[in-house]
Amino acid sequence: MAEICCDVATGAEAATKEPCEASSRAARRRRIEMRRFRFVAGAEAMAPAEESRKKRPRAEGAASNPEGSASDGTVGSGSSGDMSGDPPRAAGSIEEERAHEGSRFGMISVCGRRREMEDAVSIRADFVRGGRFDFFGVFDGHGCSHVAMSCKDRMHEVVGEEIERLREGAPSPTQGGWREAMERSFSRMDAEVQGPGQGSGSRNPRCRCELQTRKCDAVGSTAVVAVVGPTRIVVANCGDSRAVLCRNGVPVPLSSDHKPDRPDELQRIQAAGGRVIYWDGARVLGVLAMSRAIGDSYLKPFVTSEPEVTVTERTEGDDYLILASDGLWDVVSNEMACDVVRTCLRGRGGGAANGERELGSDRACADAALLLTKLALARQSADNISVLVVDLRKRDL
Amino acid sequence: MSFLSSSNSRSYSGVGEARNGQRRSECFARFYENWLAEQERDLADLRSAAAAAAARGGGEEEEDGGGRRPLQNLVDRVVGHYEYYYRAKAASARRDVLPMFSPTWTSSTENLFTWVGGWRPSTAIQLLYSKSGLQLEARLSNIIRALPSPDLAGLSPAQLERVDRLHRRTVRREREIAEDEAAVQEAVAEARMLEIAQAMRGSEGTEAAVGEMRGQMSGKEEGMERVLEMADELRVETIKGLVEILEPIQAVHFLIAAAELQLAVRQFGMRKDAEAAASVANGEREPHLTTVIRPAT
Repeated sequence: MAEICCDVATGAEAATKEPCEASSRAARRRRIEMRRFRFVAGAEAMAPAEESRKKRPRAEGAASNPEGSASDGTVGSGSSGDMSGDPPRAAGSIEEERAHEGSRFGMISVCGRRREMEDAVSIRADFVRGGRFDFFGVFDGHGCSHVAMSCKDRMHEVVGEEIERLREGAPSPTQGGWREAMERSFSRMDAEVQGPGQGSGSRNPRCRCELQTRKCDAVGSTAVVAVVGPTRIVVANCGDSRAVLCRNGVPVPLSSDHKPDRPDELQRIQAAGGRVIYWDGARVLGVLAMSRAIGDSYLKPFVTSEPEVTVTERTEGDDYLILASDGLWDVVSNEMACDVVRTCLRGRGGGAANGERELGSDRACADAALLLTKLALARQSADNISVLVVDLRKRDL
Repeated sequence: MSFLSSSNSRSYSGVGEARNGQRRSECFARFYENWLAEQERDLADLRSAAAAAAARGGGEEEEDGGGRRPLQNLVDRVVGHYEYYYRAKAASARRDVLPMFSPTWTSSTENLFTWVGGWRPSTAIQLLYSKSGLQLEARLSNIIRALPSPDLAGLSPAQLERVDRLHRRTVRREREIAEDEAAVQEAVAEARMLEIAQAMRGSEGTEAAVGEMRGQMSGKEEGMERVLEMADELRVETIKGLVEILEPIQAVHFLIAAAELQLAVRQFGMRKDAEAAASVANGEREPHLTTVIRPAT
């Protein structure tokens, strides 16, 4: 889950493994608390940490900000521990954490060759009361960064509330139930970013469009959200960020990009009375190069925030989940991404003692995300690049 | 705003002053030629250091074992050479800032890429990404297998994160400096300037108006000197920031790429200007503004 911390990991290697307490909920809470503290320490005090302290403890690994905002952390995975100068931490807690079965992940989000940073990544482990679900989201803003930032700050709370509501009705929800919960979440999130005073200004003082009064309706963001539970992976997507599952070594896309020239999207836009104009690629009304997004109220209803949702039962063959913005997918194919991550993780796995292998695999998530990012940079990706790799393999293989 | 370009204002400002300006410009041009020759020498040293490291196998452990210190010394020396350039430039700009914004020592191709009297600081980040990309493609299979890659392909997550942070800071500073530059440049259209401009067209009191103009201009030149100083500071900070993030051997690769690019663009630019000048001399081409002002060297 939130480990990886390479430097900590080295210290943890020698530490004794004490999984005995791990099953207790209280212990889990305590660990998460510690973990969150580390994130805060590592990523220079992030704003949401304070707010969530009021609620129950939640692990947070959120990074990627527009330039100049409070936190500049762009590499996550608990790999905030990679940052030099991090305070030393209790090695024991790492081992304890490893004993429970939450997802492990690695994340990188960089400005790349662009001068604006409009990507945002949100990672919230164990984000639903009374159920073990981890939240992963990649948001690629356009026009300005504030819609993506609002999604990063709020989407997990909205989705969490909807899932709690869903599970009150049915402890093990149906696929249709999940779909509706995600659709409601996206619709609520969309309403929030368009609400008066939302988004621009307050949270994001450096927001480029702050002076444009509240007429910020030409701003939006993609959203690809994955809720990873013990038995299922629910992915909701609007826009052209993408989630890909590596299953038995083969890429399985869990989302389908919303491009204006996707035949069914084209049809939907035209049926609503809109047009797709080819001007530097297919664009809705000649403006926006994607057909769904959070925000962008001026392009409604042609551009909708309604997500497409996939509900995937987890299997033994599930290896990793990759969430990334188009800064990656424009230059790296699903196959290539899968190959890189697989080889990367396999390369680290073999030959070590059990503890070390687990440790290596956590670090490998960050390394895999890094490698994909570097590959995208090498292939001249012109955009911000955000890559999130979640290890889905069972811990004791 | 060419009507206020340095050559015009110079023609008003007395022959002696113009000659001084020219001399200073020539002086800095000679300094720059020497500096570039030293840059060539540095590049050769960097290249042989990189080759030696590669021959040693270049593993990280090996580097710690003794190869690291000399590499760091070399990197420090090369960075120090950049700092030396900017110290000399600042001293020259304090005497007369005008030549720094219309340099006679650069080719027109180099001038294409000029931002506030020098190279654009964020270019250094792009340079790093490009070099890192080239080395990554060359070593991809090694990297995937987690074999050590003692060059820019081996950037760690922590390094990339710091580079990204430096990138955002550099871009932010570029914007701030560009705003300061805008404020100084827009001040050319102040009301007082218009009054002087009108007086200079008048039949009497022209000399007094020129004197007033000189006073006004010197304030603006000081403003631009401050802008230049900030821009040069940012250039140095960006190079030093990157080198600090990189391992010595990685810094060597970065500095090689930086020097190679700088020298290659210059070589190309000088050649191109010389060709253009030659074709004008042979009557093959209409004189071009640039070639008239800047005879081939």
